[in-house]
Amino acid sequence: MKRVFAFVLALAMVCCLAACGSKDNASSVDEEKVTFTMGVDPEYPPFSYLGDNGQYTGFDVEVCAAACELLGWDFQVFAVNWDEKLIQLDAGECDCVWSGMTILDSMKEAGYVISEPYYDNTQVLLVKEGSDITSSADLAGKRVAVMLGTSGEAMLADDLADLAASFDDLIICNSFLSCFTELGGGSVDAVFVDLPVAAAYAAQNPGFNVINEALGAEQYGIAFRSGDQALCDAIEGAVAELVSNGTYAEIAAKYPDISPDNLVFLNK
Amino acid sequence: MTLLTMIVKLAEGLGKTCAIFFLTLLFSLPLGMVVALLRMSKNRIVSGVTRFIISILRGTPLMLQLLAVTYGPYYLFGAGVARNKLIPVVVAFAINYAAYFAEIYRGGIESIPVGQYEAAEVLGYTRLQTFVRIILPQVIKRILPSITNEVVTLVKDTSMAFTVSYQEMFTIGKQIANSQTSFTPFLVAGVFYYVFNGVVDFAMGRIEKRLNYYQ
Amino acid sequence: MKIMELTHVKKSFADATLHVLKDISLSVEKGEVVAIIGPSGSGKSTLLRCATLLTDMDAGELCYDGIFAAKNDENGRAVYADKATLKQVRGKFGLVFQNFNLFPHYSVLKNLTDAQIHVLGRSKEEAEHRARALLDKMGLGDRGSAYPCELSGGQQQRVAIARALAMDPEILFFDEPTSALDPELTGEILKVIRALADEHMTMVIVTHEMAFAREVADRVIFMSGGVIVEEGPARQVMDDPKEERTRQFLRNYQR
Repeated sequence: MKRVFAFVLALAMVCCLAACGSKDNASSVDEEKVTFTMGVDPEYPPFSYLGDNGQYTGFDVEVCAAACELLGWDFQVFAVNWDEKLIQLDAGECDCVWSGMTILDSMKEAGYVISEPYYDNTQVLLVKEGSDITSSADLAGKRVAVMLGTSGEAMLADDLADLAASFDDLIICNSFLSCFTELGGGSVDAVFVDLPVAAAYAAQNPGFNVINEALGAEQYGIAFRSGDQALCDAIEGAVAELVSNGTYAEIAAKYPDISPDNLVFLNK
Repeated sequence: MTLLTMIVKLAEGLGKTCAIFFLTLLFSLPLGMVVALLRMSKNRIVSGVTRFIISILRGTPLMLQLLAVTYGPYYLFGAGVARNKLIPVVVAFAINYAAYFAEIYRGGIESIPVGQYEAAEVLGYTRLQTFVRIILPQVIKRILPSITNEVVTLVKDTSMAFTVSYQEMFTIGKQIANSQTSFTPFLVAGVFYYVFNGVVDFAMGRIEKRLNYYQ
Repeated sequence: MKIMELTHVKKSFADATLHVLKDISLSVEKGEVVAIIGPSGSGKSTLLRCATLLTDMDAGELCYDGIFAAKNDENGRAVYADKATLKQVRGKFGLVFQNFNLFPHYSVLKNLTDAQIHVLGRSKEEAEHRARALLDKMGLGDRGSAYPCELSGGQQQRVAIARALAMDPEILFFDEPTSALDPELTGEILKVIRALADEHMTMVIVTHEMAFAREVADRVIFMSGGVIVEEGPARQVMDDPKEERTRQFLRNYQR
């Protein structure tokens, strides 16, 4: 019985190793024709979302596509489950997470290779038109929604824990749309959300206001598996070239909700 | 975060998971019987409409029904979204599970031989007495294994309440996993679900045993 | 005195062309034992089901002890009485099924007491007293706490007879009471029915046991094709039938 068990275990391990090995090859820079799979949150406009033509698009997606073209790699988009993005990255379902992702210290501590930051983000409050909330000071005793897995959620648990403690309740939703629906339906008084997402939603849906108060600064970056430093370097090199040849600025111009002031590479 | 804090936080969520579980059973078990009786109605329209509703409830994802019950009124009529999410969650779960229970009840009721009804009729039982005293006890015994299956599924389905931001155990597990960049809370939550289902299995097994006095 | 009277019963099923009962009349006197014989499909069981209100007649009248359960309207269609009257009528008769139809979730004793308590409104003590007396009579005095599935077919049928008797019917119907039993078990049921006949219980028995019918019944009715072909004192019908069809049927059975 024990021997059978040991055999099965060994078999399972071999399979695992084989699977890991093949994934490593797929993302290796040494391969002749590399397929690079970009992991994105499919519901994070304007950085990554499902475009009108049914293809994934967005600022991050276009930059990555251009970088891959420069490198001569096959480019693919993989939609991750945002709150499981790092597990999916480890599992080899994608080669990076690049989707308006806030760089957290815990990611570096966990050994992930993180690119240079490319975007300075702030969190803001989205409220209904006519709301009596004008700043974060008015949030005491209010109900606030935040999306699970966003940096906003992490901030409210950490740096802004005092602010969160003044809320009547903090509602953690599983999508931005769910957050905004709660706000529209009046079950929450404000949504704590990334500025570009809030700006894009308020631009498309009348009746909502973005409160002009930057709450907590943070930066977006790209996450790679630990050990994929070479891959990170290759992508960073390609992006630098896109910046110098002007393509980067061209792409940015298509997305008015992304302020050029916040794009790190355009301000160097 | 220590493992202990993690377990304490998840246990808080377990309370909300239990609330969904018990309230859903409380409402869906009797509601299912009403639906089953409507489904078996001799009135073609009543049984047809009931059949159609059952097919929708069984043929669409529970997650979609949760969203529809919670946010549907807002999108359709601009009505407010409930602050206490337990209400729409239990409504959606109870309706969905009532549809499944109704089909189980119906199968059970239809499997009782017609001779049982005739024997009761000749002895002078009223229709209600026949159903309550003669048919229902036999139906319950026959359908108990199928009911157990559904109840075990319900334990796991409670995690879907996350779709509408109800802070039950799995939602909290996800939140901790996210802030800690760790898989441990999922393992802990998994153990909780497993133990929960173990208790359910044990309880249902006891009931089945108690009904085993005849074949 | 007539306990039950069926007059001009007509019944057809489904497409209304298949006439199962074609204008049948039957009345039973108090204390009389009537055996109904005939080939399968002759309408014997349907007649019994009409008499026990399990099947609605198309036309005809049904009367128990002067109370009408169904009467013909001016168009000759059978119209049934209201609920309260039918409940009263159901108290007059009992029925023993071919397949016993005991309640499997009740013990033998509860099978006998439940309807007494919840239909007749007897006290638990009274109902159990009556039930135990009947079980003793059926030779099942020690099986009160058993469940039907623990009993042999013959024992189950005896419980079913006791269950019917516990309601104190004025007339007891038997629908082929031995047909579902192994041949070696039919004897015990026939013995019970014979004992009831000795007590002058009014009974109508649909049966295939010819020798039994001849011995126990006061009157034998031979049915075929939805009509009563011949009826009369048991020995006369069985030993010296007047009709050719009866003769043929009995000959087939003796072979």
